[in-house]
Amino acid sequence: METGFVHIVDDDESMRLALDSLFRSVGLATRLYGSARAFLDAPRPDEAGCLVLDVRLPGISGLEFQAHLLAMDIRIPVVLMTGYGDIPMSVRAMKAGAIDFLSKPFRDQDMLDAVSAGIEKDRARRAVDQSAAGLRALYATLTPRERQVMAQVTAGRMNKQIAGDLQLSEITVKIHRAAVMRKMGARSLADLVRMAESLRVRPDGEPALLAG
Amino acid sequence: MPDADRHPLLSTLPPNHAQTRRALWMLLALAVAMAATVPAATLPVPGSGPFVPAYATALLVSDLLTAVLLYALTAVQRSRAVLALAAGYLFCGLTVLPWALTFPGAFSATGLLDVGLQGTATIAATRRLGFPVFALAYALLDDDGPGIADIGRAILGSVLATIAVVAGTTAFAVWDDDWLPRFMIDRQHTTPLWDLVPGLAALLSVVGALLVWRRRRSVLGLWVVIALAAWFVESVLLGFVSAGRLSVGWWAGRLYGLLSASVVLAALLSETMALYGRLVRSIAAERRSREARLTTMEALSASIAHEVNQPLASMVASASAGLRWLDRSRPDLEETRTALRRIVDDGHRAGRVVTGVRTAFRKGSRDRETVDLNALVHEALGQCSAELRVNRIEVRTELDPALAPVTGNPAQLQQVLCNLIANAVDAMDAVTHGPRILRLRTEAPEGGGAVVVVEDTGVGLDPVHQDRLFEPFFTTKPHGMGLGLLICRSIVEAHGGRLSMAGRLPQGAVCRILLPPG
Repeated sequence: METGFVHIVDDDESMRLALDSLFRSVGLATRLYGSARAFLDAPRPDEAGCLVLDVRLPGISGLEFQAHLLAMDIRIPVVLMTGYGDIPMSVRAMKAGAIDFLSKPFRDQDMLDAVSAGIEKDRARRAVDQSAAGLRALYATLTPRERQVMAQVTAGRMNKQIAGDLQLSEITVKIHRAAVMRKMGARSLADLVRMAESLRVRPDGEPALLAG
Repeated sequence: MPDADRHPLLSTLPPNHAQTRRALWMLLALAVAMAATVPAATLPVPGSGPFVPAYATALLVSDLLTAVLLYALTAVQRSRAVLALAAGYLFCGLTVLPWALTFPGAFSATGLLDVGLQGTATIAATRRLGFPVFALAYALLDDDGPGIADIGRAILGSVLATIAVVAGTTAFAVWDDDWLPRFMIDRQHTTPLWDLVPGLAALLSVVGALLVWRRRRSVLGLWVVIALAAWFVESVLLGFVSAGRLSVGWWAGRLYGLLSASVVLAALLSETMALYGRLVRSIAAERRSREARLTTMEALSASIAHEVNQPLASMVASASAGLRWLDRSRPDLEETRTALRRIVDDGHRAGRVVTGVRTAFRKGSRDRETVDLNALVHEALGQCSAELRVNRIEVRTELDPALAPVTGNPAQLQQVLCNLIANAVDAMDAVTHGPRILRLRTEAPEGGGAVVVVEDTGVGLDPVHQDRLFEPFFTTKPHGMGLGLLICRSIVEAHGGRLSMAGRLPQGAVCRILLPPG
């Protein structure tokens, strides 16, 4: 199982190296960046990770940087550090979605706990993203007619009503329905309904996720 | 006048141009009024007796108010001279009472208090001579020593004594006419003896005005001179120009006297209010600057805390990491050693921050001596020479040999220069193409003082950052202290100077220190 990456952004080299040593001592992989720009420019490994960020960075504050990440849809959990933490700043950081806010100097255990919570959160998010991506791939194999049938079935309509709406025979609807169940890998109608919900399938058969 | 710095009071502040000009206009107006009255002065104004009480009341109020104002001034300044002047006004105000009461034709045909022919004139003579005598006392009393010790008792004593003198004079005047000097032939006309009184009063007024002008160069002194001038005009009109009581000249003299007394009172009041307003404003300004100083102190202490905290946090993290490396099932000594080495470096770094702060704020940082800025530039360059060489920076100096020395703390000023040079070096660190030139210039600006300019060809200033340069937590440097510029500015401002920064074309930054003349 992957252990996760810790991305450390701090302009203070000594602090950066100390954190690097601390995370490696518990078996976490690290990446070091001297500035916010360096982090944004660097390629990020396709693995669960957590960002440890100093609130005071050259030219840009950590809080501004956090806003940048949100705007660029980089959804990595953030642990903020500050040498001069005040309450309004922490409140803003937590509202912006930071995992934790640690004032320097911090206890190593607090930092490690925050980072592993961050990595865990990232891992869960990635799992959800991945299953959503899988579902989208399966849905993409359906024919337009099958999508229409799936939308109607998961909306709770009976075969006879669907046949009337789509001007098909009831037998044809049953065949399409069986194909949908098979292609989507649904074990039951309830299973299919859950999939339709997470794909946000609309009555005309176009899923919101695909359209978006 | 050093006294004016301690007590900005009417009695100590020297008059400004506008005040002196107003006083001179007033003198001129008095002279013109006197001359204009002369042709008609001898005409009698029959039936004007009943106006005497109205005149007396106005004079009483005006003199008493002036006396109160001057007693208040005495209480603050503890000055014997001002106390004498206050007593003089009180005396003039109080003698008006028996004078008006006994004046024939004012309250009754022969005057109240059962007074004889000479009584009113005796009171008038006392009053006429009294004021210039008190004014002379104001001019001559010595205020150089310590002020009056028990000011409350002194004022009370002065008020009681003045009342006693006025009451005594009145009693004497109404007791028996035979004992009094012969001033009057009848109720309207005077003897040659009376002519001595206004003559002496006019002489005393002139002498008093000259002495006050020479010895008491203050706003109060200026208006006392006006009051004495009015007294002179009044005395001359009463004694030599008019045709005795209730003639045009007699009334004119009285009215000019009253008018100038009122003008003096109004001037004193308005000057007091203006002074009070200035004080209120300066207190507000003082409070604002104290708050600004506090804010800077807060920012400074917060940023010092931050700068010390940075290496501390790094040390704690390195130590924790080292312990974890040791606690592993197979301890990693190499990693532990690296962590310990980092702790040593961080410890030294924290020490440097503390040393820097101590240099800026240690005892004796207020000590001032004469500083040759050109020599200081050379010393600072010498101190930074290793750094300049390592970064291959070319140094150019343009030092003005005629630069005047400034007064300051050389250690602090050198710290400012070193800090600015270090900033410039850091800014040129990122320059890979193009020249790396540090230019140090001294020059004498217009209006005196000295200017030191530190110029670099570094990355320059981002206009976005320009306003934030002096914020305590702001830094654009990878290893930024974020403290340097703030401390530099505090030091320069503590020397009464200014520190400014601007971008330079085509690249780089200019830092300018302006120090006031030493």
